[in-house]
Amino acid sequence: MTELSGSLLLFLLTAASLVAIGVYGFIIGPEPLRRILALNIISAGIFMLMVVLAYRTSGSGATELAADPVLQALVLTGLVVAVSATAFALALLARLEQSSSEMSAPLQLKQTEPEQ
Amino acid sequence: MMILLLVLPLLSALLMLLWPRIAPLLALFSAAASSLLALQLLLQVAEQGTRYWLLAGWPSGLAIAWQADTLSCLLILLSTVLQLLVGLYAFATRSRDKLSQGFWPLSTLLQLSLTALWLSRDLFNLYVCLELLGLVAVALVSLSGRKAIKPAFNYLLLSLFGSLCYLLGVVLLYGAYGLLDIAGLASQWQAGWLSNSALLLMSLGLMLKAAIWPLHAWLPAAHAAAPAPVSALLSALVVKGPLFILCLLWLQLASTSQAQAMAPLFAAAGLAALLFGGWSALRTPFAKNLVAYSTVAQLGYATLALGLMLTFDQPLIFAALWLFVLAHALAKAACFLAIGEMSATLGGKRLTILKGASQTMPLAMFAFAVAGGSLIGLPPSGGFLAKWALLQGLWLQGEQLFWPLALVFATLLSAAYVFRVVVLAFDRADPVAPDFAPQLVPQWLALLPALAVWAMALFSEPLLLLLRLEAL
Repeated sequence: MTELSGSLLLFLLTAASLVAIGVYGFIIGPEPLRRILALNIISAGIFMLMVVLAYRTSGSGATELAADPVLQALVLTGLVVAVSATAFALALLARLEQSSSEMSAPLQLKQTEPEQ
Repeated sequence: MMILLLVLPLLSALLMLLWPRIAPLLALFSAAASSLLALQLLLQVAEQGTRYWLLAGWPSGLAIAWQADTLSCLLILLSTVLQLLVGLYAFATRSRDKLSQGFWPLSTLLQLSLTALWLSRDLFNLYVCLELLGLVAVALVSLSGRKAIKPAFNYLLLSLFGSLCYLLGVVLLYGAYGLLDIAGLASQWQAGWLSNSALLLMSLGLMLKAAIWPLHAWLPAAHAAAPAPVSALLSALVVKGPLFILCLLWLQLASTSQAQAMAPLFAAAGLAALLFGGWSALRTPFAKNLVAYSTVAQLGYATLALGLMLTFDQPLIFAALWLFVLAHALAKAACFLAIGEMSATLGGKRLTILKGASQTMPLAMFAFAVAGGSLIGLPPSGGFLAKWALLQGLWLQGEQLFWPLALVFATLLSAAYVFRVVVLAFDRADPVAPDFAPQLVPQWLALLPALAVWAMALFSEPLLLLLRLEAL
């Protein structure tokens, strides 16, 4: 455990900073696509934390270093949920762009009408 | 039998995608069969006591823990029955409102995720249910077309953010204790900075998803944009899911000192929701937004009851919390269906179209007024029962003046926004003419849950007994 703690700390710090960057981007970013990406960065941070914790919890008790299988299963489930949620968000975003371009198209026509 | 409650909606939702032609019939059938199963489960649990399951035969610790107590069974029964009612309404109005085909499989999936959520006692499983619930709810909001996409997208982003906060809390707890099921965690619980921060993160996420006061801003837009049957389901059931998990966390996991520290915050948030939600409902010019703001306000009662429960630890207050949830679900379903029916028939979204509605659409208006009576808490409705239990619980704690007075003020506010609609409807001088002859069946369907919430008073004794036992 002792010789691991250096790299463990590095992993933990990386996970925490990923979450922090994601939260910052989610709160600041006005652009929808950026906010979706920010959510993905948060989930990447959380999954990284899960993977690191899987390493640690079994390493502290047992002599051999086998990762905790429960957390690995949770990461897999979480990845599936995150992928489907992202796909759904992107689909909604595409629909949003489409409808806003349809709405703005008649407006542009109206603006050009007086010139004709 | 409990497995059937989950397999039936899942299978029928998949079959609906294969045969969209018979989707409505399948959805109604699955909702009706699930209601019967839920009733049977409730009777069984009330007689034989709480039932536990460890899924797939794994030992405890690895397996997902499920538990059917009377509260879970009541909530399952509530969601399946409302599902059936709303499905019938959607079926009755399907040709007129041009409801998208997607409604049927999605609403059945909503029932599935809610049932799983009420049963689950495993933090990660609850996360999966929560995420499924959020995705299905957003998809349902986006059904009503172009104008709903923007609110649906905002709802999705906030909902995902909320569930990520919750997930982070779950991961922290697992890192500390190596456990996920709530009963196991509760036996090893230690108050410390880690469990504090995990609880706070999870509560933040859940409060965002349950639209509890400072985090409620997405709710009125999303609920008002959805089609009428969808808003009924969202307001009546979906926001209660995260609230249920929040109660599990604070009542079963948190230590006494943590609960005592958080209690005033919940009580204050509940009070603020009652005041600001009621005030916004009084000011909004749109009919559906009024009902949506009233949801924010009524959720305030539940939050307030949670805060008071954490302070006083009085079983009556716990019973009051869930009575509020049951009464609000029935009343709000009736309100949204009635308002949806009236705005479809009278043609408009503004509140002013309801002018003279007591003459043109007496049944729907009656449904709204009856449901509104329960929102106000007029005796002998379900809302009255909940408020009475809360006041009685406070009374048993000795000299309490502030909270009863606050409750009276909140009641006056809710009376004000309900009467705002009723007064307009009885203004018979120059009624808004309906676009077409009002349909009777949908109006009756809107009236049914409103009558059910008044019928709750008939079962007040067994309901109170069941819920009070659950708190011990």
